[in-house]
Amino acid sequence: MIPRSVRFALSGISWPVYVLLYTPLALVAYYSFAPAPNSVGHSLHAYNVLLHDGDVFVALRRSLILAFGSAIVSTALGTLLGYGLCRFRKRNAKGFLAHMPSLIIYTPIIMPSLVFGISELIFFNFVHGATGLLAAGLGTMIIAHITFQVPYVALTVFARLSGLDPYLFEASYDLYANGLKSFFYLVVPVVQPAIIGGFLLGITLSIDDFTISFFTSGPGSVTLPIYIYGAIARKGISPEINALGTLMISTIIVMALAHFFITRQRERADQLAARGNVS
Amino acid sequence: MIPPAALAMTAPAPRGAISLHRISRIFAGGIPAVDRINLDINPGEFFTLLGPSGCGKTTLLRMIAGFETPDEGRLLISGREMQDVPPHKRAVNTVFQSYALFPHLNVEQNIGFGLRMQGVKNPERKRRVDTIMELMQISPFAKRGAAQLSGGQRQRVALARALVNEPEVVLLDEPLSALDAKLRNELQIELLRMQKHLGMTFIFVTHDQHEALVMSDRIGVMSKGRIQQVGAVLDVYEKPKNVFVAEFLGLSNILVLTPTGARTAQTPLGELRVDEELNGHKLAMIRPEKIWIYNDTAAPQGRPNTFMGTVHEAIYMGASTQYRIDLGNNQFVSAYDTNNQAAERSWRPGEKVTVELKPENIMLIEP
Repeated sequence: MIPRSVRFALSGISWPVYVLLYTPLALVAYYSFAPAPNSVGHSLHAYNVLLHDGDVFVALRRSLILAFGSAIVSTALGTLLGYGLCRFRKRNAKGFLAHMPSLIIYTPIIMPSLVFGISELIFFNFVHGATGLLAAGLGTMIIAHITFQVPYVALTVFARLSGLDPYLFEASYDLYANGLKSFFYLVVPVVQPAIIGGFLLGITLSIDDFTISFFTSGPGSVTLPIYIYGAIARKGISPEINALGTLMISTIIVMALAHFFITRQRERADQLAARGNVS
Repeated sequence: MIPPAALAMTAPAPRGAISLHRISRIFAGGIPAVDRINLDINPGEFFTLLGPSGCGKTTLLRMIAGFETPDEGRLLISGREMQDVPPHKRAVNTVFQSYALFPHLNVEQNIGFGLRMQGVKNPERKRRVDTIMELMQISPFAKRGAAQLSGGQRQRVALARALVNEPEVVLLDEPLSALDAKLRNELQIELLRMQKHLGMTFIFVTHDQHEALVMSDRIGVMSKGRIQQVGAVLDVYEKPKNVFVAEFLGLSNILVLTPTGARTAQTPLGELRVDEELNGHKLAMIRPEKIWIYNDTAAPQGRPNTFMGTVHEAIYMGASTQYRIDLGNNQFVSAYDTNNQAAERSWRPGEKVTVELKPENIMLIEP
């Protein structure tokens, strides 16, 4: 039991943390309603400017293509990798060999994205110089994003599979499923939540990423984070940037609330189902 | 009503027969888990592999299922060589110790999984799943998930999931070990009923000698990767081949013999007469329930193999009492006596008794 005084002190500390977390977000929203030029009072002027800025929408579209394109591919690859790591573990491997798979998976996650981005840049330049392929652009960005997302997806799938009864796989073989059928009729449905989780994580990571995108993008492949950075570098933080930020924050809040209500509804349905079955 | 599986059993003779020729499986470290085993299992037989944990019985079962590959030897199922046949192409289904029910499927879908993988389409598949659920009395749970079932229900679903495919052989890896005693007894009887009804070959793995005795047509007793003895239940229990089999199948009194004639030997208890010719045997055994106990006053006169002693310990077990009887010279025998009389008529520690080891009840065994 934690003493009352300590609990009180801890709850006291939590408030400044909340303030530091959410005041900046509130400020962004506040400044987005800046007055229009040559006028006073709050306005939606910045939003109006933003809506008529074609470049923003081009950048947003590119960000979404990058996010979904890379997440789809990395989900497929990461699922296979997670499955392989779990199913084909060397049972009697010792020392370095036993840790190889986790080393391969964790290294890209631990690697600073700056190092990761620069090394990707060097690699793409090298290949381009040698073969003329892989010119910097959306293509190279998608490849780079796939690369850093795969370990995250593999990890979530691996964690889910490791928690399963290992005899489930044998049971599927025993019941006339070959490797392929076992994968599609047992593994995929069972790890489906992990696959979806990995996919969503991939999209989040991709939309969020600036560093790796910055190093691997080309002249014609400006994504939203790079666009924002460029806009700030050119003319400082404008009300339009704040408006854009506010829109992104709102989208995330709406999504989080939707997730909360959907899962709560599902949990209630599950509880009801479980209760109905006790009889 | 004759279920389809019973009709399928009218196929040619070797269907469901299993033949092992010098099968070995050697794990890392060079220790053989299964060591040059020869074994023939008859079609339609309830065969039990009995042995302590680590004796190789599960490895043997897994080789028949195809999850392990023998390092040497030949394995034939229904007369067909299984060397290069993967598990999904064997007409063999397994009931796993953990049941291994698919968590993403309900009872009905779990049972139908094997048929679905074999490409059995739906009116037919549903009919067969419904029939087996009816037979196993699990129809009311058809739509439940595996997590919403009790242990006994899971066990039934796991069995139904194997049987619905009408395999030639059903492999059962300690399927009852996770259940409580009462449920285990019920399911033992039900399992036997299903096996006789469907006529499939059942290979049952257990470390529980009582379960093995109750269920099996024949038992193969295993130790250290080798089969110690194969035989009908009665033979394995009454005429064990060696000390391991004698002791694993129940309490036994082992006697060290120094032969003095063709059918007589000196033992630490005294002179002993046996029915069989000794033929160089150095050991004999007698089951505790085969030892007769008499009140000191009612002891039979002039009969061989009678010894005087004192009750050292009496363990009351309800239907019977297990006595430990001190025959002097630091020699003890264990004896069971049925409590078929009023409780006060049984013997108490310290009482003088005479025990008789009838010659026909003494079995010669190997070390």
